[in-house]
Amino acid sequence: MELYEKSAHELSEMLKNKKCSAVELTESVFKRISDVEEKVDAYLTICKDTALEEAKKVDEKLSIGEKLHPLAGIPIGIKDNISTKGIKTTCASKMLGEYVPPFDASVMNKIKSADMVITGKLNMDEFAMGSSTENSYFKTTKNPYDLSRIPGGSSGGSAAAVAAGEAVVSLGSDTGGSIRQPAAYCGVVGLKPTYGSVSRYGLVAFASSLDQIGPIGRNVTDVAMLQSVICGHDKMDATSKNIEYPDFTKSLSSNVKGLKIGIPKEYFGKGIDSSVKTSVMNAVKELENNGAVVKEISLPSTDYAINAYYILSSAEASSNLARFDGVKYGYRTENYNGLVDMYEKTRSEGFGDEVKRRIMLGTFVLSSGYYDAYYKKAKLLQKKISDEFNGAFSDVDIIATPTTPSAAFKIGENIGDPLKMYATDICTVTINIAGLPAVSLPCGKDNGMPVGMQFIANKFNEQTLLNAAFGYEQIVGGFNSVAAIK
Amino acid sequence: MNKDYEMVVGLEVHAELNTESKIYCSCKNAFGLEVNTQVCPICMGMPGTLPTLNEKVVDYAIKMGHALNCTINSVCKQDRKNYFYPDLPKAYQISQAEVPLCQNGHLDIMIDGEIRTIGVTRIHIEEDAGKLLHDEAFAGSLVDLNRCGVPLIEIVSEPDIRSSAEAKAYLDTIKSILQYIDISDCKMQEGSIRCDVNVSVHKKDEPFGTRCEMKNVNSFSAAVRGIEYEYSRQVALIEAGGTVVQETRRWDDVKGESITMRSKEDAQDYRYFPEPDLLTIVVDEEKIKAIKESLPELPNIKVMRYVKELGLTQIDATLITEALDKSKLFDDTVKLGKGSPKGIAKWILSDISKYINETGKDINSTPLTAKRLGEMVEIIEKGTISNAAGKTVFETILSDDKDPSVIIEEKSLAQNSDNDFLENIAKEVISNNEKSVTDYKNGKTNALGFLVGQCMKASKGKANPGMMKEIVEKYLAE
Amino acid sequence: MNIDIKHVAKLARLRIEDEKLSKFENDMQAIVNMVENLPEIKEELVLDKDNAMVLRHDTAEIRKFTRDELLKNAPHIQAGCLVVPKTVE
Repeated sequence: MELYEKSAHELSEMLKNKKCSAVELTESVFKRISDVEEKVDAYLTICKDTALEEAKKVDEKLSIGEKLHPLAGIPIGIKDNISTKGIKTTCASKMLGEYVPPFDASVMNKIKSADMVITGKLNMDEFAMGSSTENSYFKTTKNPYDLSRIPGGSSGGSAAAVAAGEAVVSLGSDTGGSIRQPAAYCGVVGLKPTYGSVSRYGLVAFASSLDQIGPIGRNVTDVAMLQSVICGHDKMDATSKNIEYPDFTKSLSSNVKGLKIGIPKEYFGKGIDSSVKTSVMNAVKELENNGAVVKEISLPSTDYAINAYYILSSAEASSNLARFDGVKYGYRTENYNGLVDMYEKTRSEGFGDEVKRRIMLGTFVLSSGYYDAYYKKAKLLQKKISDEFNGAFSDVDIIATPTTPSAAFKIGENIGDPLKMYATDICTVTINIAGLPAVSLPCGKDNGMPVGMQFIANKFNEQTLLNAAFGYEQIVGGFNSVAAIK
Repeated sequence: MNKDYEMVVGLEVHAELNTESKIYCSCKNAFGLEVNTQVCPICMGMPGTLPTLNEKVVDYAIKMGHALNCTINSVCKQDRKNYFYPDLPKAYQISQAEVPLCQNGHLDIMIDGEIRTIGVTRIHIEEDAGKLLHDEAFAGSLVDLNRCGVPLIEIVSEPDIRSSAEAKAYLDTIKSILQYIDISDCKMQEGSIRCDVNVSVHKKDEPFGTRCEMKNVNSFSAAVRGIEYEYSRQVALIEAGGTVVQETRRWDDVKGESITMRSKEDAQDYRYFPEPDLLTIVVDEEKIKAIKESLPELPNIKVMRYVKELGLTQIDATLITEALDKSKLFDDTVKLGKGSPKGIAKWILSDISKYINETGKDINSTPLTAKRLGEMVEIIEKGTISNAAGKTVFETILSDDKDPSVIIEEKSLAQNSDNDFLENIAKEVISNNEKSVTDYKNGKTNALGFLVGQCMKASKGKANPGMMKEIVEKYLAE
Repeated sequence: MNIDIKHVAKLARLRIEDEKLSKFENDMQAIVNMVENLPEIKEELVLDKDNAMVLRHDTAEIRKFTRDELLKNAPHIQAGCLVVPKTVE
């Protein structure tokens, strides 16, 4: 097994025990990138030189016996909507195609303090709007398990890079499923943390009340390690919650005896492929065999959730993306006649079609006369959905559902039909609406393509969530190794 | 004004708060610095940045709320007001929509000696935008974002104002209160206080007419001019058979006219919705109470008290009230009960004001204490010393840090008001100056002055000049 | 409800090309038709008092960024300012 294929926790031990150097590890990852990136197309910006410098510094520190963070020297890819000082942060959009932030996102400060090695910036759907990474202005990332299929979105590059061994771990962002869905399609582990547990300062905003940055890895321990680094209160983010956040790896337990798992019937309806249902139910059975208790529950507002999601997220997005006007940064159209012409041309040329659709929808629902019918109703439904989950969690510890209705679809299959594309989010959006933590785990294959299972826990119960995930992982003897790129 | 038509005016005042930092970031809140040097990624609206609310802004808004007798909404939120403009980096302004921090207040103003109560609909907190700079020579416009994020309170009045004079009084009072409670420096020339004007007209006993909003009113006197112009314009329009259209107009103070900016159809749809990057604002009831208790006596209330209870003229009352140092000295002195309020006021507005202007000192930290001022004024009013001697006492208090009684003693300033003493001197001077007496009796009135002067000389300046003159006149009349 | 594409595009400062307009209108109307399917909920929105915001202390921090750093990504600058087409209020 090559270095790039190993897990972060194993590599952490190897670095500590000088079984390998950080430079060797980084070189291994970059060799892998040079071998497969042409086929996978996960990266928008590759930072080889700086990564090797960072790795070198880690080796120097290790050589003088300095005690470093467990993730020191581990190569990590960063989704391209997370601000990285001095490195292009494009959000996969023409609008920010040349934009270089003068500051780091708060999570990047933590990543740097942990001495991680930044491999580069990863491809995504433009401004995080999409479910396939086909909405990237620059290129489409391919699913490492089948290069003719999408990796999912919007954190397609983040999931694909980890699945392909082009990064040991990565950071994505999740607003309606954008970490969990690509994690499911690419057969890796992806966590959307509780809203407010990871600082959003520096994350280019899509939907402020729903966005969260989260970790992606090939196994649960790696994800727990990375989550422990990035979570924490940040005074720069007023929505970040000031509580004690534990080191999730310290009490990672595989004991699922007595674990109460809720199965909501609304997530196993006719919109879900039977092969996916089977994979998930088999996985749940495994847990039951190991002492978990399964209970059928109901979350009645699920059917309306996707509508509320598109109303709320588009409304916030239409406002968050209004700042892209060609005045202070980013793209400006070349020929214009007056201010309004400059605005319209800049925004029409700088944004792709999906972004435009979301902005239009958001502007419409907030416009005069429509607020009560759309936004207000969606907000009321949001409360109902949260209350339903809260009620469910008084009976169960975690809720298990499929992550997506099917395995990864073909590139180009859904791109002409926005509603069909939106429907791939039905299992994931409710979690963002309620602000809950949820993780996607590989639970089987469908014609060779990975299928994901989602665990959901109550707010700030990441430990319960990760323990259940870890428990499942131990039962099945581990998850996928790096995909062989054909 | 056309006696058939009444005017209805509502005013929206924006005041910049004098906090240390901006409302949503820790940039220094300062004016007049080199363009685009007082900005950071947050107030510039760079992607990924987030606002954090400055607690002082909330405190100051509540303070003004108390000063204007408002109900304080201890639980409220911020909202986004969305529109595109080059001086608005995020393309939305963080403000407050339906639930402002303060509402339902009122302001008592004094106008021509009468008290009028003007309703205050609301006060809310929001951020200021940047500045657009234009130059004839330059093809485009330049944007300076320094002012982005400067904290503002917007004070909205009820449409209770009925004349341009009332509008001016209202604006002047708002300004003096803001300065009094020290939450804004109100420098009109620096733009730290601005107002928008709403005017409508209607015939007596008919319902209110359609109102027009006027922007770009850059001073209080411009507000007066704008209101009067708008009144005339609307009356003329109606008299000519036209209808007043609801619109936003731009006031041009140089040309003395207003022009259409936006019609109702073009009216901005601000698409207000709750600011998702900020949580609920909850202010402690204890804190709200403490802020109320920290309010000083407000200037408009002070003026009314000085006029109604102490007999000062509105002008003198306003002049004293406007300066915190002078009103403090005045209040402290009057409280001690020595010297008449009018007399104390006279000294403050003349010699003391002159001293303050010349030396730039804070009068409340000089040897001229309230006690000494009161004693001095009382002594003069009793006639123990002359006005001229009073000036000497005043100067000496400041230079030598001594009490009036000590100074009068040391410099023998006490004037003699003893009738017999004065009569004796008058008799002696008159008998020694027959020619002058004759001149006076022949119509040379300035002979009186000469004689009185001789009396003063004979008394070594100690005679009470007023009394001296009366006595001399009495003898001359015999 | 019907979505007036022209009006909304104006508010959003977007322009849809003529050749794309028809599909765009259809897509948008389909999306609107989908999302407006929401249940009636007889409640009022209330502010969340339990998660009150912690406010920032009023202290000015020293400047961390130079003007050049902040304007580095600007499309057009002159005399330290951003340049836009002539805009009169």
